[in-house]
Amino acid sequence: MSELLSHLAQGMGVVFQFAYVDVFGVSIPIPWNILFCLLGALVGTLVGVLPGIGTVATIAMLLPITFGLPPVGALIMLAGIYYGAQYGGSTTSVLVNIPGEATSVITCLDGHQMARQGRAGPALAIAAIGSFFAGCVSTVLVAALGVPLTSIALLFGPAEYFSLMCLGLIFAVVLAKGSVLKAVAMVVTGLLLSMVGSDLETGAGRMTFDVAELADGIGFANIAMGLFGFAEIIRNLELPAESRDIVKTKITGLMPTRQDLIDSAGAIVRGTALGSLVGILPGGGAVIASFAAYTFEKKISKHPERFGNGAIEGVAAPESANNAAAQTSFIPLLTLGIPPNAVMALMVGAMTIHGIVPGPQVMTKQPDLFWGMIASMWIGNLMLVVINLPLVGVWVSLLRVPYRLLYPSIVVFCCIGIYSINNSPTDVVISALFGVIGFWLVKHDFEPAPLTLGFVLGPLMEENLRRAMLIARGDATVFFTRPISAVLLTIAIILLVVAALPKMRRRRDEVFVE
Amino acid sequence: MSESLSPSPQGTRPGFSINSHNLVGGLIILVISVALLGYAFYSANAVIPRFMSFALALVALGVTVGVVPVPGPRDFYGGVMLVVLATLALIASADLPGQRGFAFGPGTAPRLFSFILAALGAAVAVGGVFVEGPPIDKYKIRGPSLVVISILAFAAMVRPIGLIPATFLTFMISILGSTEMRWLESVIGAALMTLFCWLLFVVLLKLPFQLWPRF
Repeated sequence: MSELLSHLAQGMGVVFQFAYVDVFGVSIPIPWNILFCLLGALVGTLVGVLPGIGTVATIAMLLPITFGLPPVGALIMLAGIYYGAQYGGSTTSVLVNIPGEATSVITCLDGHQMARQGRAGPALAIAAIGSFFAGCVSTVLVAALGVPLTSIALLFGPAEYFSLMCLGLIFAVVLAKGSVLKAVAMVVTGLLLSMVGSDLETGAGRMTFDVAELADGIGFANIAMGLFGFAEIIRNLELPAESRDIVKTKITGLMPTRQDLIDSAGAIVRGTALGSLVGILPGGGAVIASFAAYTFEKKISKHPERFGNGAIEGVAAPESANNAAAQTSFIPLLTLGIPPNAVMALMVGAMTIHGIVPGPQVMTKQPDLFWGMIASMWIGNLMLVVINLPLVGVWVSLLRVPYRLLYPSIVVFCCIGIYSINNSPTDVVISALFGVIGFWLVKHDFEPAPLTLGFVLGPLMEENLRRAMLIARGDATVFFTRPISAVLLTIAIILLVVAALPKMRRRRDEVFVE
Repeated sequence: MSESLSPSPQGTRPGFSINSHNLVGGLIILVISVALLGYAFYSANAVIPRFMSFALALVALGVTVGVVPVPGPRDFYGGVMLVVLATLALIASADLPGQRGFAFGPGTAPRLFSFILAALGAAVAVGGVFVEGPPIDKYKIRGPSLVVISILAFAAMVRPIGLIPATFLTFMISILGSTEMRWLESVIGAALMTLFCWLLFVVLLKLPFQLWPRF
């Protein structure tokens, strides 16, 4: 316990680091990391509020900008965007009945009903309080699980690592929506795309078609920006222009009543627990967590009929759950180096660009980065509660910016961003190509997220596969003769088989339809 | 992969796609697979991809003339394009050295994953032949193509005419994709966005861009 506290204290130290900047000859201390955290949280909230720009797209868009920052600051900011978006998404769900984020779709049900009954204030406040509670608990959880999980991961050899990555990818596939077969196909596509470029060991150019720009491989930022940024814009342009009717009721009485707090306390705790659990699972992430928490709350409620008619538990549970899950999904990334969802895959991209290889060694080699990032999550959550509620009016007025002006801005922003990475127009062309591919994929019911995961894990998987095979002298059974690896692979296979069973497939579909 | 935009919307007219042949879609795959076949014969060592692209061409022919039904076009064409991608990857990695003794060569993993992808793609496509699915959504032309054109235009313009004019023009091209664009508003928006990007990227982040055309 004392170890945990000292780690968190170390993290706080990193977050509150001051750097001295000369302004007109006077050196002024500036807490850069706090500023990055605040900026990330604000941008995240902004994104969460605006429908049509997802979290993944934003992080992809902002990746190039963080290149110039110090690694700790960059990651703190990106993390801030992620959990900030969870807060922001709830605001529009409650006030406008348009979920700004997929994670707050379910919040619309009861949140908007509450707003219609003139209780928008308490709904937003409970969402913020629940999120904050969840954020606090899961921050401690990340810190507490970091050390033991890392020490397990350090025991892993290449064979175990390969199997673990297989399991992670399978989990991600099974827990995502849509066809399992197609998701696996997307993962393999991502793996294949990651092999374009120089070979790790021999340096031979692979599948480069003699294009000089491909010799270094396809840049991760290009793929991410194309598949999530450009493809999303193209897709949105196809949709008919929506009219956003903003609830005109004045938000009065922000504070929830005593009864509200009593009603929602249990829901917040249960939502947090469920969300933390789901978040750790690869592929789970915040979306499933919020759905699961709402369904669970409705099941155990004595008055399930209240749900959908403005039950405060229906806001508290999913909002706590999505925030908890958003944060605990950092656990597999930070300890094992395996990104459990597309957002975390982008974080891997960001880390790699800063020369950090995600995995168990991050904690031992760069403790400042590891604990600083964890501590920043708690600070960020605190800032979000403080800034979010007073700024509700500002966020809502942002919704009045029409999409026809928003999307060209995103397009130029993305273009400059990609161009700035290498000063290479070819990169811009490649991401445009991936934009078209992403658009095509969606038309054919393929999810781009598993492709990103495969792309990020590709080099690691290949490296470990090659090493394992070399150590085992070309004997492929090594993956089943080493006990840990065998267990991991068996779980993966069982998962796949179970998910492919017709009965389970129907159940899965039902969960996602609801 | 740029051809992969298609199968075109005409191929999925209502009532036309269910249990009937799909002329345009089949033709598109036919063209792609013949091109692949040519590429496979042009490259050395690509024996297996030759067979694969030949098989693809046969399937495409079957679809074109109506022997192969396509009740689930989304799955079918999606799966077929994955097989195309896998075949392309196999051809491209054909002359890479493979396994030497116990060690993987640079070509081993790409070929391994290409075969897995081809198998998965084929499975998805077979699903499209036997299971009825929704038709492919129509492709709208204006918005998507103008956005893509604007991105490509940025890539082409940024070096010769500099960042500021390129940003402004990219904004203007992409906004044409919207059906509700208004000129005055757009010009103001473009100017503001250009200013914002200049402030962010050039002033704040100090990135070394060329801002104006070089004379």
